[in-house]
Amino acid sequence: MTSALVVKGLSLSVPSANGRVTVIDDLTFDIPAGRRVGLVGESGSGKSLTAYSLMRLIKEPVRIEKGEIFLDGQEILGMDIKKFRHLRGNDISMIYQDPMSALNPIMRIGAQIIESIQLHSDLNRAQARKAAIELLASVGIPEPDRRIDSYPFEMSGGMLQRVVIAIALSGEPKVLIADEATTALDVTTQARVLTLIDKLAAERGLSVLLITHDLGVAAQFSDELMVMYAGKLVERGSVNQIFSNAVHPYTKALLNSHCDYTTDVNKPINSIAGQPPRPDNRPTGCVFSPRCAHVQPECREKVPQIEMVHDRLTACFRAGELLELGAVNK
Amino acid sequence: MTSQTDSVASLSGVSRTFKGKTGTVHALDNVTFDLKAGKTLALVGESGSGKTTAARVLLGLDQPSSGKIEVLGRNLGSLKYEELRLLRREIQVVQQDPFSQLNRRHSVERIISSPLIAFNIGDKQSRRKQVIDLLKAVGLEEEHLNRRPHELSGGQCQRVAIARALAVDPKIVVLDEAVSALDVSVRAQVLNLLREIQASRGLTYLFITHDLGVAHYVADEIAVMFRGRIVERGNRDDVFKQSRHHYTTGLLSSVPLASPTAEKRISGQVQSLPSPVEGDACNYRSRCAVGLDREDCKSLPMQITQGSSTHSWLCHSPVVRP
Amino acid sequence: MKFKWRYSFSGFLILLILGICLAAPILAPYDPNAIAVADAFSGPTAKNWMGADDLGRDSFSRILYGGRITILIAMAATLIALLIGTTWGLIAGVRRGWVDEFLMRTADATMAIPQILFALVCVSAVGASIISLPIVVGILLSPTTARMARSAVVTELSSDYVTAAIASGTKRSKLILSEVMPNIAPQLLVQLSINAAAAVMLEATLSFIGLGIQPPNASWGTLMLQGYAKIWNTYWFVFFPALAVTITILAFNAYGERIRVTMDSRRSSV
Repeated sequence: MTSALVVKGLSLSVPSANGRVTVIDDLTFDIPAGRRVGLVGESGSGKSLTAYSLMRLIKEPVRIEKGEIFLDGQEILGMDIKKFRHLRGNDISMIYQDPMSALNPIMRIGAQIIESIQLHSDLNRAQARKAAIELLASVGIPEPDRRIDSYPFEMSGGMLQRVVIAIALSGEPKVLIADEATTALDVTTQARVLTLIDKLAAERGLSVLLITHDLGVAAQFSDELMVMYAGKLVERGSVNQIFSNAVHPYTKALLNSHCDYTTDVNKPINSIAGQPPRPDNRPTGCVFSPRCAHVQPECREKVPQIEMVHDRLTACFRAGELLELGAVNK
Repeated sequence: MTSQTDSVASLSGVSRTFKGKTGTVHALDNVTFDLKAGKTLALVGESGSGKTTAARVLLGLDQPSSGKIEVLGRNLGSLKYEELRLLRREIQVVQQDPFSQLNRRHSVERIISSPLIAFNIGDKQSRRKQVIDLLKAVGLEEEHLNRRPHELSGGQCQRVAIARALAVDPKIVVLDEAVSALDVSVRAQVLNLLREIQASRGLTYLFITHDLGVAHYVADEIAVMFRGRIVERGNRDDVFKQSRHHYTTGLLSSVPLASPTAEKRISGQVQSLPSPVEGDACNYRSRCAVGLDREDCKSLPMQITQGSSTHSWLCHSPVVRP
Repeated sequence: MKFKWRYSFSGFLILLILGICLAAPILAPYDPNAIAVADAFSGPTAKNWMGADDLGRDSFSRILYGGRITILIAMAATLIALLIGTTWGLIAGVRRGWVDEFLMRTADATMAIPQILFALVCVSAVGASIISLPIVVGILLSPTTARMARSAVVTELSSDYVTAAIASGTKRSKLILSEVMPNIAPQLLVQLSINAAAAVMLEATLSFIGLGIQPPNASWGTLMLQGYAKIWNTYWFVFFPALAVTITILAFNAYGERIRVTMDSRRSSV
């Protein structure tokens, strides 16, 4: 299976009082064609910055220090920006958390979709309008021929997000990045929008990178899951692997601290002590070591690299033994 | 209904209407609930359900169009402004956004001591000591006294907000989406903290949230709101295992669970097109797979069905349970 | 990253200008009114750094003293505009309702009146003096300040921290002072800078058209008026006062801009 997206050694930095500090550290992953990959992490994990890097939307003071990104085989970080602009929105698209701010409030939504369509194709206005109506229908907007002339403020959050999805898909991309795309939506609307993305992705053979802090959303939508902590990828595996038997201590702790209606109400929730490190205060060795329940001296001195341990990728020196322990303590 | 524990605050038949551009908006529609001493009532609903308005009305930050609000036996509507202000000592609030609910130009010390100053409690030294005790109670340190909100993390800011709410030793704390803006692991920490504080101080909580998982964890009683009405109310098992209202069941089935079950539990639902409610008839009808076709649901006025001493709902054709 | 806008270049420049002008009596090489016919019409020389006017009066000294008057009037006007405007806007923003409507429409109306015309009417009525001019200019500048203050206070009052303060028992009377003011202070400071620039401009304009400071007293505007007639042969009559006005206005604007940029950058973070 070819990879729709490959990221190699991506590192980002930001300025601080003590010079530049790392916010994404040597990130390497790939998204196979047609797969749904979830990226979970908390504040400061670097998940949003990863998304922006994929779209080359990183601006000073944030800087890409090194790394390569291959979109369908083409390296895009080093590419001429003019050339990349043809790809951006066309081959790789992104949808964001707040549909209201993604859309121009004084332009009818139809005009915005048509603008996007014409940018990525040779259709004339009439043809583009027809395509836009079809697109609106495909994202489940009722009465698309009427709605096409609505303004954003006349529509609800869920419908707007559908419009945003329509625009994102207008260029027939191969990769869709959804950055907290359903976080601002009600639970019922969220369910509908996720179902929609699910359906469209299946129809078009899209690869989706779903970035979220919501473990439930990640579990339900993704085939595979990547977990980031303080700028590092700490674990990657199938949804089944991660949720049944996560091996990285952070992943385990994160899952344990998740509160849903299966959580035992008679006990305190297993939270992780402390907080993520500030970028200008990264610990030596493993970035999770100060908070890790299984920490050993080695963890504080050397940085664990992400590697295959049994059946999944993880960055932990004790992964092997923790996996055994996990299988035992079920 | 009456139970062993006393009711410390209540809303009775409270309505709050706004004149919007497209007609009147019923932010609250005949809402009745009460808070029992030392217990937590979770008010669950999506945006537009009226849960925040209910909180504001309880806190005296907003006036209802009709109905009665009682806090510790006092009818809010009959109070003059200064009396209401003094009553605020007993009922405090923690809001959703950790940063914006703290004055960015004030230090942590000033923020937490502001209620103490407002109610003329103690002098500068005693207040400082109290603030330090409060910081420790919420898991922060004395070194945080001089920090500003933007120097703290979201979780830390929320702890400061909680410390401020506890400063004047209230009986009731309204938590308006207080953990919704926090990271998962921080949320767990703060939920644990809130539970611990409630136990040690005998606090009564009104916990407003859109997150059913959180509601399940914190609540002794849950009230589900939809467009200004309480459509179902009960204890944990009533609502989560025996839900009767179709909105509640719909909500429960929409929540994605963090578990590896292959069965995708996301369900598509009927499109929600806003439609006017006919008087006292069901306001959920336009979204209800069952109610869409029933004549009763279109025009029959709603009446509360009391299923058990703890469980009640507002539905003509509720989910059938064995 | 705290950018100390207090120590910016434009801030320094403002202090320099203020310092120099206010210290005119000490710094000026000559009495600005001392007539020395022998030096009349001389261009910039070692004796008269900025030349001498038709009566031989030293331009440099006249500019220093003139600056003193301009700056004093402008600063007084700015303060008056700040006081009137802020109070105006705060009352409107806090009371809302018809009080707000009335006050803001009055502000709009005042702004709609052509400034020179307004000044003309006022000056005809009360005369132009070092007392009346700041008041007139101050009144002219207060509506914009009022609108800014009103919008700032309305925004802050809808913030969560104000809700929290009310819920914590803070009295309404204390709210504005203790909670809101610290947050709108930077915006007021920006407005202060902009007003200062506008005040200098207005004073110079009024004096230039003869509505302001009258001879023998001379502000920068008056100097420009006197020198304007002789601009072709003796450019320095007009050039140096105009340069002084320009630099002062730019400095104030730049300072205000600096503060605004710092505020904006503090608000948005990655």
